[in-house]
Amino acid sequence: MTTVPKKRRYLLLRRGRVLFQALSLLLFFYLFIKTDYTGSDTLEYAVNILFRLDPLLALATMAAVKTLLTLMLPALITVVLALALGRSFCGWLCPMGALLDGWSRLFGKPGRQSPTRFPHLPATLLVIILVSALLGLPLAGYIDPFSILVRGFSQALYPGLNDVSVAFFTWTYQQAPPLVNRIGEPIYAFLQQTVLPAEQKFYQWGLVSLAVLLLVFALEFYQRRFFCRNLCPLGALLGWFARLGFLAMDGGDTGCGTCRLCSSRCRMGAIDDQRHIDAGRCILCMDCFTSCPRQIIAFSRALPGVRAAEVSLPRRRFIGSLSAAVLLPAVLGTRTLASRPDPLLIRPPGSLAEAEFLQRCVRCGQCMQVCISNGLQPVMLRAGLEGMFSPYLVARTGYCEFNCTLCGQVCPTGAISELTREQKHRFKIGHAWFDKNLCLPYAKGIPCIVCEEHCPTPDKAIRFRAAAVLDDRGGTRIVKQPYVVDDWCIGCGICETMCPLPGRSGIFVTSDGEGRHPEKRLPAADGGGYGP
Amino acid sequence: MKRRGFLKRLLLCTAGISLPAPLLRAAGAGAQPAPAPDIARVTGADYPVLVKETLDLLGGMKRFVSPGQRVVVKPNIGWDRNPDQAANTHPLVVRTLVEMACEADAGEVMVFDFPCNEKRRCYNNSGISDALAAIGDKRVKLTHMDKRKFKPITISDGKSLKAWDIYEDALTADCYINVPVAKHHGLSRLTLGLKNSMGVIGGRRGGLHHNLGQNLADLATVVRPSLTVIDATRILLDNGPQGGSLDDVRKMDTLLASTDPVAADALATTLFDLDPDAIASTVAAYQMGLGEMQPDNMNIMERSV
Repeated sequence: MTTVPKKRRYLLLRRGRVLFQALSLLLFFYLFIKTDYTGSDTLEYAVNILFRLDPLLALATMAAVKTLLTLMLPALITVVLALALGRSFCGWLCPMGALLDGWSRLFGKPGRQSPTRFPHLPATLLVIILVSALLGLPLAGYIDPFSILVRGFSQALYPGLNDVSVAFFTWTYQQAPPLVNRIGEPIYAFLQQTVLPAEQKFYQWGLVSLAVLLLVFALEFYQRRFFCRNLCPLGALLGWFARLGFLAMDGGDTGCGTCRLCSSRCRMGAIDDQRHIDAGRCILCMDCFTSCPRQIIAFSRALPGVRAAEVSLPRRRFIGSLSAAVLLPAVLGTRTLASRPDPLLIRPPGSLAEAEFLQRCVRCGQCMQVCISNGLQPVMLRAGLEGMFSPYLVARTGYCEFNCTLCGQVCPTGAISELTREQKHRFKIGHAWFDKNLCLPYAKGIPCIVCEEHCPTPDKAIRFRAAAVLDDRGGTRIVKQPYVVDDWCIGCGICETMCPLPGRSGIFVTSDGEGRHPEKRLPAADGGGYGP
Repeated sequence: MKRRGFLKRLLLCTAGISLPAPLLRAAGAGAQPAPAPDIARVTGADYPVLVKETLDLLGGMKRFVSPGQRVVVKPNIGWDRNPDQAANTHPLVVRTLVEMACEADAGEVMVFDFPCNEKRRCYNNSGISDALAAIGDKRVKLTHMDKRKFKPITISDGKSLKAWDIYEDALTADCYINVPVAKHHGLSRLTLGLKNSMGVIGGRRGGLHHNLGQNLADLATVVRPSLTVIDATRILLDNGPQGGSLDDVRKMDTLLASTDPVAADALATTLFDLDPDAIASTVAAYQMGLGEMQPDNMNIMERSV
């Protein structure tokens, strides 16, 4: 084989890689937009397949719950891919990688790459994540690239895109001449049918999710693929499999003289001074293949398992990460929330008991993205430091739609189990309570039973009795005063969302009585209740 | 004093207030007594035929829709419930009315509501989305409400409600057909035509509940349907307005229609074995001269098909 067709082949491969990245990014955005109610009770596609392909999340959640999670088995595909074709996932398929490469192409400075700043950090994080998961502290979701990506998009960028579009087309609708609207309105309608969400959504801490994502992009100015080289524990895991596997790359040799074109171009810092290419770091971007003046960089085959002897983490560092991972879970049980959980922490319907829920939740934020009424919000500190970005119902913002089961369908790890409609109708996530100092019929003798009107259970969980009350002028009136029927209330929170008071609601839900924790049983008039 | 005794005495003391006051029509109603409004009450199990017969009694759709006109058909699509549960207007009733408007050469037939549950779920599960898509006519537009089209409207004749945001298309349509479903409601006892108009207003709608009857009557001074068709094909007797249990549903196979929105509501009330004056909005609207509420003063045309 002559060198010229070989070079052409590599150029073609390199172009193919960019095309692959673009396609996988498009697929990602397609799935992302499809992660929504589309007219059927069952979702056809969802971006959750990305999380189910993620071996880091698969290993971490399985280590945490000590069971095989069949939902996460697609991750094996990625492992096999890494064994056969190295870290091609990072260079060809990863949507985060694709975005970072595109970002650098637009804004970065081409040229010499600096040495990897923290070469051992990804593996250190990997060890900490896996060991602490084993001991009951879930951390993977904080740093997993897909979790960071989907959270940033679903909680900030996507709602932001809609907000800006609505503002713009409202302005043109109200202010612009008819000619502009004749063009603009069909465009707006098209965008609404294709790209924009059906409803504007609002998120607590959306800016924090955005800040984390933007940080990943900002670090790109310091070093190309900074996140992938210095932080990504998924990359470290795939690198470990890559080293175990078949694929190897022939680097340069002594004949290269002083030429260091390959190593200085490498966006992953995978080529050392001796021009050896580390399969654990190489993402098969093909840059060195095409830029090598001698055309000597090529694929070859390694004996599986041989290179695993190259330890990726120095022993001292490994022991250090181990002790960090052991210490953190040891102090978790000493916090106040361990003895008295926050009563406003209402988990989505179908959620497992709190400890296992948190261990499985990978903070991908898809339940919140798909929540049709915008009730699910990311927690900041209510569930402890290890519970950040996990979902909870904020019923003043939105409620749990009675017939909807989407959150359980998108959850990639089964932290929220999938419910049938009938199961959902009976799944108690919390309980409603009246604040009689605020509720109008109680506080002011004003008739209002908006909560009763919206209560979705076929036998209403909010009913009313007529009572004579004194109004603020000293007169007596008969008003209908609402009350909650414990046996029917499932804690969906529509009463709190719809309460017409302008600020604080006259009715609110708490996690009391939630079905997943029998010890939170409600007190009963017959003396039952109060504890298991 | 025991609670029961207190309540008894309270009722005695306030009897003067709670007894129905003589109903007087507004002075502005004019010196001439208004002619008795026509109202059709038709029963039949074939709903498309039922709708056509009802409209025929009132002079046919062509009486209300002229060629090229912009028509609004406003059903109740408030809840994520299926047609059997009787919380939304029956899809066949909506579909037949829309088809008839198309046959009368309407330029455009808009259908919309401002649901209480998630809007897409309501449009789909009510069966109305599929029913209208089946017509396959480009003039039929089932849309979600566009927030930009709510306009602040002054209600100059309003006694309690003085101003509110109201949907532009509902006010500017050439022909506005109100198609409520008749059903139970905890606060207003029943929700009928006047209550269905709450689906074309924006803002914090729950706030209207504080003086609901008068507020609905005030709203009826500006949201004025050319025709009210009340769907009582099946009615929800309890746990309204969204129901959920088929035990609360009674099959009636009945439609009521009138150009007089108050008369339509008043007569529909009798289907629930209640007197028209049991509904505060009917009484308030009658007193403001917006329509007739005494069945004796209506020209009721009955038929069964």
